[in-house]
Amino acid sequence: MATRRTTPPARGAKAAGRAPRRQSPPLLGAPLPPPLPIATIERLLGLAMSRGADFAEVYVERGTHTAVTLDEEKIKSATVGMASGVGIRAVQGARVGYAWSDDLDDRTLDQTARTAAAVAAATGSDAPVKVSRIAMPRHYHVVEPLADVEIARKVDLVRRADSAARAYHKRIAQVTAAWADHSRRIAIANTEGHYAEDVQDLCRLHVSVVAQGRDGERRTGFYGGGGRVGMAHFETFRPEEVGIEAARQAIATLGAIEAPAGPQTVVLAPGWSGILLHEAIGHGLEADFIRKGTSLYAGKIGEKVASDKVTVIDDGTMAGARGSINVDDEGVPAERKVLIENGILRGYMFDKVNAKLMKQRSTGSGRRQSFKHAPMPRMTNTYLAPGDLTPEEIIASVERGLYCKAFGGGQVDITNGNFVFEVAEAYLIEKGKLGRPVKNATLIGVGPHALANVSMVGCDPVPDPGLGTCGKDGQSVPVGVGLPTVRIDDMTVGGTKVGGGRMA
Amino acid sequence: MAQTDLLELCERVVRRARRLGATQAEAFGERTREATVRVREGEVEDLTRAEGKGIGLRVFKEGRLGFAFTSDFSDDGLELFVRRALALAGAAGRDTANKLPDERLLKLRNPELHGLFDPEIEALDADWKIAAAKAMERAGKAEDRRIAGYESVGAGDFVAETAIHSSEGLHERYRGTYVYLFAAPVAKGEDGQLQTSYWVDYKRRLRDLETPEEIGRTAARRAARMLGAKKVKTQRVPVVFEPTIAASFVAGIAAAVNGDMVRKGSSFLGDKLGKKIAPASVTIVDDGLLPGGISTAPFDGEGIATRRTAVIEEGVLRSFLYDSATARKARAKPTGNARRGYSSLPSIGVTNFHLEAGDTPAQSIVKGVKNGLYVTAMLGRGANTVTGDYSRGANGIWIRDGELAEPVQEITVAGNMLDMLANIDAVGDDIDFRGSLGAPTIRFAELTVSGS
Repeated sequence: MATRRTTPPARGAKAAGRAPRRQSPPLLGAPLPPPLPIATIERLLGLAMSRGADFAEVYVERGTHTAVTLDEEKIKSATVGMASGVGIRAVQGARVGYAWSDDLDDRTLDQTARTAAAVAAATGSDAPVKVSRIAMPRHYHVVEPLADVEIARKVDLVRRADSAARAYHKRIAQVTAAWADHSRRIAIANTEGHYAEDVQDLCRLHVSVVAQGRDGERRTGFYGGGGRVGMAHFETFRPEEVGIEAARQAIATLGAIEAPAGPQTVVLAPGWSGILLHEAIGHGLEADFIRKGTSLYAGKIGEKVASDKVTVIDDGTMAGARGSINVDDEGVPAERKVLIENGILRGYMFDKVNAKLMKQRSTGSGRRQSFKHAPMPRMTNTYLAPGDLTPEEIIASVERGLYCKAFGGGQVDITNGNFVFEVAEAYLIEKGKLGRPVKNATLIGVGPHALANVSMVGCDPVPDPGLGTCGKDGQSVPVGVGLPTVRIDDMTVGGTKVGGGRMA
Repeated sequence: MAQTDLLELCERVVRRARRLGATQAEAFGERTREATVRVREGEVEDLTRAEGKGIGLRVFKEGRLGFAFTSDFSDDGLELFVRRALALAGAAGRDTANKLPDERLLKLRNPELHGLFDPEIEALDADWKIAAAKAMERAGKAEDRRIAGYESVGAGDFVAETAIHSSEGLHERYRGTYVYLFAAPVAKGEDGQLQTSYWVDYKRRLRDLETPEEIGRTAARRAARMLGAKKVKTQRVPVVFEPTIAASFVAGIAAAVNGDMVRKGSSFLGDKLGKKIAPASVTIVDDGLLPGGISTAPFDGEGIATRRTAVIEEGVLRSFLYDSATARKARAKPTGNARRGYSSLPSIGVTNFHLEAGDTPAQSIVKGVKNGLYVTAMLGRGANTVTGDYSRGANGIWIRDGELAEPVQEITVAGNMLDMLANIDAVGDDIDFRGSLGAPTIRFAELTVSGS
């Protein structure tokens, strides 16, 4: 099962003046400490092999989190945290031993390696394993680690977003704006002799809004974004635009009518709607589910699993995107992978362990939340290739249906393929034109059916603004999604109003 | 340095923060150990062992709050972290409600709680967990031959120490344990349809844990009974939530009685205090002292004694839940509901939150439905605390003439939580906790089911 929460894409962002810069106080300007010495890592790899494993890996992480929350125009909290540790994995066949520690003294580290090693109950050598640095691509480059940016500049972004949301309309009753960033330096070494190091920065700014209508009606709005980007990103992705978009959603849906329940033609606005792909098919193509036969897409390479208008790509190499990685958390460089090509299933997403067991190669999809977790196959940025229709043509083609403009979170059951995603802002389509806003709609479908019913694909591909977090087996990783405007026929809309009518 | 005394370390950190200029300071420390085992086809799939620790420090300086956390207990690491917390307080806005709970509140202590810590769990080895996981896997396959495999099946244990020291006169600690079993089997039908389900048990004491065989069999039955699931027509019908699903509905209520959401006007229950919002059969309680409860603890995340709070009593909304800062702003009493880990500030959350058992036998709740839905799994978050709107994906069994008939999927259940509360027309006698949320079987007189 996988869940995620968030919202939709940037609209017409314009360039703006720079945030005021001040001198950083020295305490917040401390550089990230270096990861472990190579000699220590090589010794730990040896110890992890001491019980006869056939593969071992050491993952070192040094991270700093910063967060600022503005509530009722006051800084509710400003927090900073430091978490460092080492995760050690030993693999023998399909058996995995994993141990981690946040104490980095030699004695504790050695014990951690021996704990992981014990999964293989044989004997082996504990001689250090030499590693050397692999060649690595750069899809983002950290110039000024976010951890080193003084808090006042982050507070300023949050305040600007908050003020813009409040000023948008007199019916805005509540605004909460927040910033979060995470700077981490990772090193991964394995017994294949590979060593990779990366600095990964991630940030996001988001605003949630409550609008108060007549008769106690309340509507909510949520928007934000960021990615593997520095502070300069917010000169073009302006905090004011973030606040205004959140406020706009809440105000636009005041007076919304009940969502019609039952099957309908739906048109999805571009951007964050890519969550459809993430849930409807993405998780089902992750190699662990395929190897265990628990995904309904197992054994279907080369088969038609979607409409021929559907080409799905998972791309960890998009510059600055939230789901991008230079290397995955097993030290394998990120790739751009075509998963579905014109409706035909072309490939799965592999980590090292599942790739080896299935006699495939890793696609750079082994990811983990932190040193406290063993990696597993995950998505990066997952999107649908564009078609050639304009969004106007797509909307105009629908006699009666639902236009879904902003979205919440989603979830999928990998095994039976049932997925849902929440629609935060939607409008009726009547005779090819947008009508009244509707509330409380959820879309539900079964992956292969929904993708077979994709009947039109727009020429307007939009990546999401950089908010998505995907959860699987208790581990959260940042991801991106993207979709052009699409039309899906016969999609079940979960609403409250029965008799909404069935549409062609 | 692996076994530095956690409470002493908290005290040292607070003293250091005070010396560096904090008006008030509070350190919250945790040390945890978790070990899990998963098996596959009678073999170990993975063994994971984790030992973690950390301290979170709240400092106040002239009404300005700073917070930092660290898992680095070296002298240098601690010094840097204390200084960072103080630097952040310098950057924060002033808020007079920003202070630690006062001495008077912190002095109220619960009598010693028993049953939080089980030395048998602390001493559990990997072999016990491997054997339990294998027994679950076998029992599930024996229960139904359509069980083709497992997404995962395993066992784990968790041992934690929590310590808190405050400049306002608090110096406390406790230790806790729990042990758990989980099974997520996959059933395969003759037509190739796959269905999954899961079943779990969490207990604070080993002797209270259900047997691996019971968990394995229940999980298998739950997956196999979904084979052949189909969509149904869109309609308004009576809907029954089985206990785990009822507990997830109760979680939606938990979010709405959060005193902070209420104070900000962001809860659909905000203006309903003292009003009757549900039938008299509905009593919802947050009980931080529940014997054997997974979230039972002597004090909350800021050291305030936990307690039992009736949130909805016989259908009347009686209380919201508070931490000390929100209670101060709302002129209410703190309810011991500050929840946190070391890496976060305290915020309002629930302890053992549950809908109390009613007196209707669970079987007769289904018996009373001529045509309706029995929900056994849900997808999506789908509950909006601000508006009360509720719309979630559902799987379950269709009820015909009072009997569980055929499995259904790819549908949604929707309503508004305020209407749903008022619409509860039966509360079962079969309360069940799978973790810290509990509920019995409940029935709603009518909800919208969307399908074909």
